[in-house]
Amino acid sequence: MNENVTLTRKFEFSASHRYWNEQWSREENDRTFGHNTSPYGHGHNYDLYVTVGGPISEKTGMIINLSELKKIVNEILLEFDHKYLNLDTPYFKDKIPTTENLALVLFGLIDKKLAGYKSLILKRIRLFVKQDTYADVWRDE
Amino acid sequence: MMALKISLTRIYIFSAAHRLNSEILDEQKNLEVYDKCNNPLGHGHNYKLEITISGIPDRETGMILSQGQLNQKVKNVLDELNYKHLDNEIPFFKHRISSGENIVQYLWDQLDESIGRGMLYHLKLWETNNNSFELDRGR
Repeated sequence: MNENVTLTRKFEFSASHRYWNEQWSREENDRTFGHNTSPYGHGHNYDLYVTVGGPISEKTGMIINLSELKKIVNEILLEFDHKYLNLDTPYFKDKIPTTENLALVLFGLIDKKLAGYKSLILKRIRLFVKQDTYADVWRDE
Repeated sequence: MMALKISLTRIYIFSAAHRLNSEILDEQKNLEVYDKCNNPLGHGHNYKLEITISGIPDRETGMILSQGQLNQKVKNVLDELNYKHLDNEIPFFKHRISSGENIVQYLWDQLDESIGRGMLYHLKLWETNNNSFELDRGR
């Protein structure tokens, strides 16, 4: 059997955020982050694609039951959905909630949860912040 | 800490005209190979370009490259092509066929130099909604 099959599921969540570096002046923040600096934050509908790999079960013909993957990831996303990322989550106290940083946080959380499933591996996530912008995080193999 | 890689992709649009015609083929053969793309007066596309950069997000900005900087570096390259006839107005294509394969190579060289620091990681050029051409750094 080919062990290189992957499975991807799409998830959606909505959140607000603000880009602001406390060490910088307002001018420098505005110059670097443009319209992302509004003190009230602004929001996006994020699309998250989660790709997992691993052996295909003889019994089910699946790498992981999709409904199980859905449950695991949705539980993680509860912490982010309809929240203000800077203040409502603990991950961005000393990090700016850019697409890159949010993708790294989500990869870490999903990977930790999936560690309990032997032989299953989180291969890659793709996080769309808008239709024309996305970040990928994957294992450097 | 497991070794992770991260990339950021932004999608840009530019519009250009071209004609597929090989200098080393005769008129009959060109028509056979390129069919409607061989139309003597050219035709155009809205090209969609997915530009992927990879690197470590900057500690101060949280970004691999700030969006403003990336946009400016990309604009410098795409402005050269936007609303132009590739074969007639871009020297690179004067004696080179402006196929998707060749355009994506042209864009790689231009963008790699403009963006710099070996950050350019992958390009995907959509000529229409149905055909695309890709190039990556191969590492």
